[in-house]
Amino acid sequence: MQSDVERQELRRGIQDAVARKDAAGAVRFARRLLAAAGKHADVMFCATAFAGIGDALRQQLGAQRLKTYMVRSVTVEPILPFLTVEAVMANYVLELQVGGYGSYADELLSSYSSLAQFQPDLVLIILDQEEIAGRLPDLCANGIGSAVEEEIEECVARVAQLLRGYRSGSAARILFQGLVIPEFTSLGDVGEANLPHSLTNAVQKLNQRIAALCGTITDCVFFDADRIAAHRGRARWRDARMFYASRLAVASDMFRDYSGGLVRTFSTLFRAPRKVLCTDLDNTLWGGVLGEDGPDGIATGSAFPGNCYLAYQKYLKQLSCRGILLAIVSKNNEGDVREAFHVRVADLAVGLDSFVARRINWNEKAESIRELAQELSFGLDSFVFVDDSPEECESIRQQLPEVAVVEAPVLEPWKLVEVLSEQPFFDAAMVTEEDVHRSDEYKAQARRAELAGSAGSRDEFLDSLGIVCSFQSALQAPLSRAVQLLAKTNQFNLTTRRRSAAEVEEFASMTGGQAVVVRVRDRFGDAGVVGLALAHMQEDSCAIDSLLLSCRVIGRGIETALLAYVGEHALHAGAKRLIGEFIATKKNAPCATYYSDHGFTRFIPSYKSSSDSVFYELDLTASLPTYPKWITVEGNESYEQ
Amino acid sequence: MSNEVVPSSVRELLADIFEISPEQVTQELSMDTLDTWDSFRHLQVILALEGQYGVQFDPQRIPELTSVALLQAELEKKGATL
Repeated sequence: MQSDVERQELRRGIQDAVARKDAAGAVRFARRLLAAAGKHADVMFCATAFAGIGDALRQQLGAQRLKTYMVRSVTVEPILPFLTVEAVMANYVLELQVGGYGSYADELLSSYSSLAQFQPDLVLIILDQEEIAGRLPDLCANGIGSAVEEEIEECVARVAQLLRGYRSGSAARILFQGLVIPEFTSLGDVGEANLPHSLTNAVQKLNQRIAALCGTITDCVFFDADRIAAHRGRARWRDARMFYASRLAVASDMFRDYSGGLVRTFSTLFRAPRKVLCTDLDNTLWGGVLGEDGPDGIATGSAFPGNCYLAYQKYLKQLSCRGILLAIVSKNNEGDVREAFHVRVADLAVGLDSFVARRINWNEKAESIRELAQELSFGLDSFVFVDDSPEECESIRQQLPEVAVVEAPVLEPWKLVEVLSEQPFFDAAMVTEEDVHRSDEYKAQARRAELAGSAGSRDEFLDSLGIVCSFQSALQAPLSRAVQLLAKTNQFNLTTRRRSAAEVEEFASMTGGQAVVVRVRDRFGDAGVVGLALAHMQEDSCAIDSLLLSCRVIGRGIETALLAYVGEHALHAGAKRLIGEFIATKKNAPCATYYSDHGFTRFIPSYKSSSDSVFYELDLTASLPTYPKWITVEGNESYEQ
Repeated sequence: MSNEVVPSSVRELLADIFEISPEQVTQELSMDTLDTWDSFRHLQVILALEGQYGVQFDPQRIPELTSVALLQAELEKKGATL
């Protein structure tokens, strides 16, 4: 517990940081102030402080500004400061507007509503059970009611109408809050549990149906408020006194958890999850120190405390099933580690081959992680580092601030899985086929590298790969993958515009517009959808709005093939000129010369554009980019020459 | 009345919520005299005081507690140690 003196010091720290516009300092002090008690007044204080440094948060910390509109049927105003503060902690600056209590349908469906005029980036839809499923409690009262199923269908249909109706007129990201299972029902706990059509069962089913619905709507995520309520105790979730008196649906000591849940959920609409987990071995993957205890002495397996480590290993393995790559970063002798994995194979849930890369040596761990970033073609901001040593953790925090660091609780190994799962960095509302196959793809990558080492020339090597590029409309391929690429590609991304699914659809449907993805496979495996281009006609020119490629396929001519495809289609659509655009970021230097390398020349456009953009043009009537000869092209039947 | 009679913990809490300085919080301060004291901030004040002092106000009394003096009296009535 903080003393009042400490609190006052931290508050002064925040005030001073705000006065000198030091965003990182303000956030750091606020984190400490709110870490312990998180008193109402402290949260209000922080919210007011942050309101004064919105620009600094964006410029210094790269916080994303989100115009956010809350469609609601309950009182949310007292929660807003909590939401603002939680958002800043997750590096968002919210510009909030709240709708009317009873006007949610009109706001979502009318093109003249205050919601439509606000033009938000994000809409949070927070309706109470009465609005979503007002008839359910009566229909579920005897627990065997035959009309319950039908009513659930109707509720889902109503929500679908709201969401689809809004989506048809706006590309804003949507969060829809699910229902919390009501406490204190007339059936009582036993009836709720045993009767097929109890309200508990009905609400659970309704939530599942709405979540599935959200999955079918572009850029829409379901917020499972019940999960958070259950986590904290449903009986304490709502303060009936304040609900009946002020329509406040959440008890005030739950404001922080609730806001945190909202932020964590909508965050998946804006950020891609991290992709690589680097784990230490001693006292992290297993208990004890291999070099001292020997392979038979380390703790892992079914007996305590080895089972705590086994649980962590299983958790890692589950993460890898949805595309999170595992790597070992350990100070050990590689020979000892191999022996341990061999000798203790029956007691371990992971094998050496579960890890796509390893750095088992005595080098600095920061150096090892840098090497892994290079080897796996991921930015450091895709990395998570788990280690029990506070010194190692601190060293990574200081040297590689982009890496998320998790300190393994060495004295409480049973908490490791909990500590890891509390972190939001692996959150994803969807999993694509590419995610599922990612680990295999990286193992194929390693075999490619071996072949590259043995082949003679570069062309010979590329030819031997047998690369096939298959082009598809972004609408035919899973749209979620296209959006995922737009959200996470940084290095080979010409303009880094984070287009939404709705915007991709718009490019595809415009006359002469293109929204094309490229799928790549070779003799070692199928890399899946790895590239995307968006283009639209501007008079007699075709302008490339976005063009990007997953960095793990760069350097194999795919980038040239993608441009050839776009050029070919532009010509077919009547374009005389292809216009390329490059916007430099901290990360996209690898593609800075992309257009000039492909015969484009720089020009200054007559129309207004952002000053960061550099434009290039190519006269399509004189020359057309061609496909590299080692690449076989599919999906282009209509225009083959 | 001087601001000495408003305990500093209450003063600071109200200052944070109304975005004013603690010195401005006097017993006379009320919904009628302060622009930022609207109905939502009022609810905020109630929730913050309840959290801070571990009390619960009667919902029917809440709309009537429209000045610092009234809030303070109600807190004392509930047995809060200010």
